[in-house]
Amino acid sequence: MSNGTSTGTPGQETQPLAESSAPGAPTDPGIRTILRRETRSSRALAAGAAAVLVIAVCVYGLLESALRAIGQQPWLIDPQTAAERLVKLPEGISPLLLGATGAVLAMFGLVFLLNAVLPGRRARHLLEDPRVAVVVDDEVIAAALARSARAAANVTQEQVMVVVSQRLVVVNVRPTSGVPVHEQRVQSAVEDELRAMSPSPMPAIRVNIAVSGVIGA
Amino acid sequence: MNGTPHVLNRILVGILGLLMMASGTLFVLLAGVPAVAQWWRNWSSDAYEHAVYLAEQTRIPGRQESWLWVAAAAIMVILIVLMVAWLAQQGKGRANLIVADYEDETTPGEVQIGGAVAEQALKAALAGRPDLAAVTVVTYEVQGRPGLRVRVHPRQGVSPQLLAAEVSGLVEALDTVVGRRTPVLLHIAGGARARFSKAERVR
Repeated sequence: MSNGTSTGTPGQETQPLAESSAPGAPTDPGIRTILRRETRSSRALAAGAAAVLVIAVCVYGLLESALRAIGQQPWLIDPQTAAERLVKLPEGISPLLLGATGAVLAMFGLVFLLNAVLPGRRARHLLEDPRVAVVVDDEVIAAALARSARAAANVTQEQVMVVVSQRLVVVNVRPTSGVPVHEQRVQSAVEDELRAMSPSPMPAIRVNIAVSGVIGA
Repeated sequence: MNGTPHVLNRILVGILGLLMMASGTLFVLLAGVPAVAQWWRNWSSDAYEHAVYLAEQTRIPGRQESWLWVAAAAIMVILIVLMVAWLAQQGKGRANLIVADYEDETTPGEVQIGGAVAEQALKAALAGRPDLAAVTVVTYEVQGRPGLRVRVHPRQGVSPQLLAAEVSGLVEALDTVVGRRTPVLLHIAGGARARFSKAERVR
């Protein structure tokens, strides 16, 4: 879901990483839990917002009931009056205001609910390593793939755009006008880099060569 | 890698979202659908009368007020405390020690190794590399055991697998120094710090 943009250094590339998964850390259940947690959103932000909201409502409720208990004037509305007005609700307020308030409330509720229910997968992939647990932001993968694509296509950094999502890598190349780009070469270069990286889950690769070229690159 | 309670967050945020959505939808329906308004008036006046009756029944002896008010205030205070406790759970789990109980026949007593040892060692080993924009190393407690989180921000275009292999080598060296294999999470991160730093030209 993240996108990385083009980048590049021409030059040497990739000795493949040892794919032997040594018995040890990565199969450790603790490490597996960590990796599972790292690829999911923690919802700390939504949780913080929800907690602050509930605290604010409670503090206000306490304030008003305390004012009532000591027989002072209410600040905004007396709890009893509030309850009475809530009971005969469609009256005493313009339907437009009531509807708008309800819509806003429902919208924020929906945001919270979706936040809780959706998988919340982060734009990250896992790498195999015998010792440490490795998570990589998709942006970093995109930048690395863009560099190899750029080297293979022999174009500048701005002419390559790579978008990495969970199961698909899209490589967009805009060739320099008059200089043909070999799609096959770009494809195999990106494939080599991705195979050396071997992220999990392994995405498929799609290379798009733009029909129109760039002048003066 | 920290101790943020993922499942609890989902449940509580989901409950709040449901409540907000239900009341919002009710308001919209009240404003827009007369039949719902009719039903609401019947239902809510019944409920209100019941509440008034309850309040009459539960009056504090010698006073006008019902003790239900006190109960409501107490519930709100408890709710506030619970919410603060929930907030405090977010992102917790920092630890100070990387090794707490070292069993070694040659050393009498107990050996503790601070997390700063590992943090400083890894940071120093990764400092000054041209392909990294930033490095942070933090000790966390994971399921009762100390663990390290290494976050590196490589410059644009650095191959993550090579970086991972190199950090892995460093961590293995650290293992031999500390004498204990601690779980290590390596997070190769993108983000603004990497994006606005200049791309690595020579490698």
